[in-house]
Order: sequence, then structure tokens, then C-alpha cells
Amino acid sequence: MTFLSLARKNAWRKPLRTVLLLICIAVAFLIYALTASFLAGSQGTSAASEDVLGVMSVAGRAQPLPMAHLARIAAEPDVGAATFMTRLRGFVGSEKNVVAVSAVEPQGLMSVNGRELGLTPALIGSLDQGRDRILVGRALAEAQGWSVGQLITITAFQMVRQDGDREWRFEIAGIFEGENESTDTYFAIGRYDYVNASRAKGRDTVDVFVVRPRDGIKASTLAARIDSLFANSAAPTRTQSEKQFLEAFLRQYADIKLIVNLVTGVAFVTLLMIVINTMVFAVRERTFEIGVLKTLGVSGGRIIALVLVETFLIVAIGATIGLVLAKLATVLVGTVLGLAFSPSVLAKATAIALAVGLATGLLPAINAMRTPIIKAFRAR
Amino acid sequence: MTQEPFITLAGVRKGYRTGSDAIPIFTALDLAIPRGDFVAIMGPSGSGKSTLLNMLAGIDVPDAGSLKVGNYRLDQMGETARSSWRAHNMGIVFQFYNLLPMLNAAENVELPLLLKPLSAGERRSRVAKVLDLVGLSGREKQYPSMMSGGQQQRVGIARAIVSDPKLLLCDEPTGDLDRKSADEVLEILALLNRTLEKTIVMVTHDPQAARSAKRTLHLDKGLFVEEKRAA
Ligand SMILES: Nc1ncnc2c1ncn2[C@@H]1O[C@H](COP(=O)(O)OP(=O)(O)OP(=O)(O)O)[C@@H](O)[C@H]1O
Ligand SMILES: [Mg+2]
Repeated sequence: MTFLSLARKNAWRKPLRTVLLLICIAVAFLIYALTASFLAGSQGTSAASEDVLGVMSVAGRAQPLPMAHLARIAAEPDVGAATFMTRLRGFVGSEKNVVAVSAVEPQGLMSVNGRELGLTPALIGSLDQGRDRILVGRALAEAQGWSVGQLITITAFQMVRQDGDREWRFEIAGIFEGENESTDTYFAIGRYDYVNASRAKGRDTVDVFVVRPRDGIKASTLAARIDSLFANSAAPTRTQSEKQFLEAFLRQYADIKLIVNLVTGVAFVTLLMIVINTMVFAVRERTFEIGVLKTLGVSGGRIIALVLVETFLIVAIGATIGLVLAKLATVLVGTVLGLAFSPSVLAKATAIALAVGLATGLLPAINAMRTPIIKAFRAR
Repeated sequence: MTQEPFITLAGVRKGYRTGSDAIPIFTALDLAIPRGDFVAIMGPSGSGKSTLLNMLAGIDVPDAGSLKVGNYRLDQMGETARSSWRAHNMGIVFQFYNLLPMLNAAENVELPLLLKPLSAGERRSRVAKVLDLVGLSGREKQYPSMMSGGQQQRVGIARAIVSDPKLLLCDEPTGDLDRKSADEVLEILALLNRTLEKTIVMVTHDPQAARSAKRTLHLDKGLFVEEKRAA
């Protein structure tokens, strides 16, 4: 036997109470890890690039820009590479099953954004082999159960074909993986020449120009310069980094980060109160026994350590259960929901667990240490 | 007896206050107990027997006067120093055993040894030795809730002597036991005094228990009276 096993035995002496505490702690850490993974994931913004700029209409991203802008953007000396895209948004099967195809010029996209999307020359080559071919992101492919060679039909929300139809048929030419697991791959990449030639309206316009600044050029400076190019034109622009755009996009609905912090904050304050309260009572019940330990010569410091180790054990086990569940969730449905259980989420959760352990253990521990033996013996 | 006494109380004053009332228990208590003695302390309820024993155990302190055990002036030591003194110099046996319920017999006995720099193997052999001494070999794995009062008290004695202290303090060790169990416990205490030369101070209400001791002191109104006995 050691003092550690003594703490462990103390932790388990009322199994039901301990199990309830574990559930409560596990749920709090599950909530934390899921929301933090959400922020770290592709629906959040941390993985979005700050280096790549998007040039959109000031009137909003649904408003088209003339293709003629491209030449003026490309002529700007600080621009490393520039390309363009138009989004074809629609659904497959049910109307809720929204799918977006970015119609691009493949070589241009490759040079501006190829690394971030995980595009390879082979993928681009297979896209080149047919006008109606598309590349599907890994997340989208897995969610829809699509594979290479499959033919799919997307019903566009707005973009009508010349024949008056809204059904767009594509053949899947390949699957792109994204640079890493937090890259948003829930979309497809198609060919602009095909989409542009087939659509009834808006011919030769684009939704966005994508610009990579030259090495060493600050993205925000270049963004301002590009916007000034078109400030007095018929189609003024707003240029933002992908990250800024995503943040602004999410903020349209709500300040997600604030909500997440509030939810986890409330969960943890509640958790703290429950665990502190339970531990204070659990230790108070043992006042007499702590008096016995002190009589045997166990020092006040050891008594504190004993109670702290007990709470740390409970918090550590509860937190581990919560984090393992969160990890499972991200593995099972993470790509669809845009969750990324990154090492930084794990590190923060560990730090929170330590803080919770200390915060909840300290009060009962100090209570236990300070009760004089004579008083402890009268507690029976 | 020319040797200096093992335990010396001189002019010890002790009282409690409850609210505004001060309850004096001892005003000037003197006591000397030689090494190797086995003293029974008797007296009416509330006469301060437990208070005295707690002071000897270093878990309570005199308000004034001096209290010396071995080379230690307990009245001058702080709580931390007394705590470590307790770990190495005295063992205590309680009326209600005070075993820890989630530990089995062997673990309860091992507890005080965790405060000493001993290997797990040494701890185990010492625990086995004292459990054998109190006649509980083979019951190492039993939990207190599964044992009789007499058995629990023997675990309590084993726990008190496992770190081999010179001083053994017992507060009504047989107070909760039937006659037969009480006699077994008293026999063990007498044996510890005789063969291992433990100095024992035992508080008791039971005249028969007091007879196991070498002498009996009666505490009344804050003073001791030694009982005369036919030798
Ligand atoms: N912590 C305390 N606070 C206040 N009064 C106390 C405290 N401890 C003991 N007393 C009082 O001191 C007196 C002596 O108590 P003590 O427990 O020493 O008596 P005792 O001789 O052991 O009695 P008993 O035979 O009933 O065990 C009693 O009047 C008791 O109420
Ligand atoms: Mg008493």
C-alpha cells in the first residue's frame, strides 16, 4: 500500500457518488472538446489561409464581377498568381443535401491554391480530360458515399442551363485530400469553361478572384491596393483573406466563438460548483478518519496531498472519458461537421483539467488539514 | 528509582472554554511515570482522563506547565513537530478502534509505516510480525466491518506498535468489549509491557482491566491519588 493507493481507495469508497461525478466531469470535457474542435475545424476559421486573398463584389458574394478585372489584378506587381472561380450551388437528391461546385480554371487554381487543397498534377490532369469532370473533396466524397468514375447530378438553386434545365451532370474524376485534416474539403472543383459555356445568364462573370501575394508581400496591404484599383469602376470590390472572409461569414449568424466560450464557460462553472460541493461533503464525512490519520503522525501537508490526489484522480479519469468520447466523435463524424481534435485542443483540455482538479480539491483539502484533531474526534 | 522518569508533568494547567464559560480540568497537575511502567488511570466521567491521554499523545497541549516525554518537551513543540514526534514515538489505542473502513487489517496496520523510510518488503514483514503477535495471522485481508470488536481492537493494537514506539497509550481499550475479548486484549498489553518493555498508560473504567497494570492512579477533581494494593 502507498499513499496513492490510499487516495484511490478514498475516491472509490462511495462508487455511485464517484460515478456520478465522473459522468458530470466527462460531459463537461466532452462539450469543451467538441466545441473547441469545432472552432479548430474547417467550419471554424483557424485552418483557413491568411495568405490567399479573395476579391469579391462589395455588393456581396452572390454579385458577379466581370472577367475583365482579372487582367488588371494580374498586372499588379505584388500579385504572385491570380485566378477566378464561380460557385455552382445546388443539391443532390434531397434539397437539404447542399453541394457546391467551384468552377475554376484548373491550372490557375493549382498555382494559387493547389497546396492548401492538396491538388496534384495527376488530379489536374484527370480534370483536363473532360469538360464535365469534377474533383470531389474527401469530406464531401465520404459524406455522400461517392467514388471516382461515378456520375452525379446536381440540381442548381439558381444557375439555369441554356436549355432551361437546372440539372447539372458531372463525372467524378478524382478526390482531393486537402493539405491537412482541418482543411475544408466539403465541396467539389469543376471546370469554369464548361459551366460558363452552359449557363444561360451571367456569361463571363465570376464570383471571386483568388489572389496569392508574392512572397514577402503583406496580404492586407495588397488587399487595399486591389480594392483601390476598382474603387471607381462599375464593379467595385472587397478583398479579404480567406480567414477574414470565413470569420465574417460565420459572424453573419452569430459570434460563434463567443457562444462557444459562453457555453463551455457555463458548463465548467457548473461543474466546478458540483465537484467542489461534493468533495467538500465527501471530505467532511471523513473528518473523524482524518483525525485518526493525524493522530498516527500523518502531517498536514500529506493530508492536503491525499485529498488533492483524490480529486485529481477523479477529474483526470472524468476528463479522459470526455476527451476520448470527443475524439471518437471527431473520428466518426468530424469531417462532415468540420471538427478537428487538434493537439492544441488536447493541450488546453489538459490544462483545464489540472486547473479544475486544483480548484475543486484545494478547499476540502485545506478544510481537512486545518481541523484540529481534538475537534475531529468530537465529529463522531 | 534514581533514573529520570520517562514521562514528567509539572504544574500542568488545562481547561476548555465553551462560549464564555471556562471549564478548568487541571490547575496544577504533577505526574511522573518511569520507563517500562504500566499505569492504569481511573476516575469518574469528565474527570479529564482522555484530556490527559491526549496531551501525552501530543494531540492536545497544556495551557501552562511542562510536559516531557523522553527527551521531548511536548508543551514547547508546534503542531508540525508534534506530528512527526507522534509518527515515531508513540502508539495509541482507542475505545472504538478507529480503523479505516476501506482498508483491510494488514493495510490498517501498515498505515503508520508509510511515514517511515521502509521498503514495501520490510513493511510487509513488520506487519506480519505484529499481526502474529496479536494473534491475527491469516486475517490480513479481512476488512474491519467483517471482524468482531475484539479482533478489531487487536488490529488497533498492532497498528499502535508496528512502528515500534516506546510509549503505548490506550483510552478505554476494553470499554466496548465483552469480558473474554477484553481479557485477551489485556493479556496482549501485559505481554507488550513485559517482553517488549513498552511503557503503557491505559485509561479504564474497568477495575479488572486496571488489575493487569502494575499500578493504578485515580484522577479526581484534577488531582491524582495512587491506589494502595496488596503486593
Ligand atoms: N474539546 C473540548 N471542548 C470543550 N470541552 C471539552 C473538550 N474536551 C473535553 N472537554 C470537557 O473536559 C472535561 C474532561 O473531558 P475528558 O474527555 O477528558 O473526560 P474523561 O475523564 O475522559 O471522561 P469519560 O470517562 O467520560 O471519557 C469534560 O467536562 C468535557 O466535557
Ligand atoms: Mg474519556
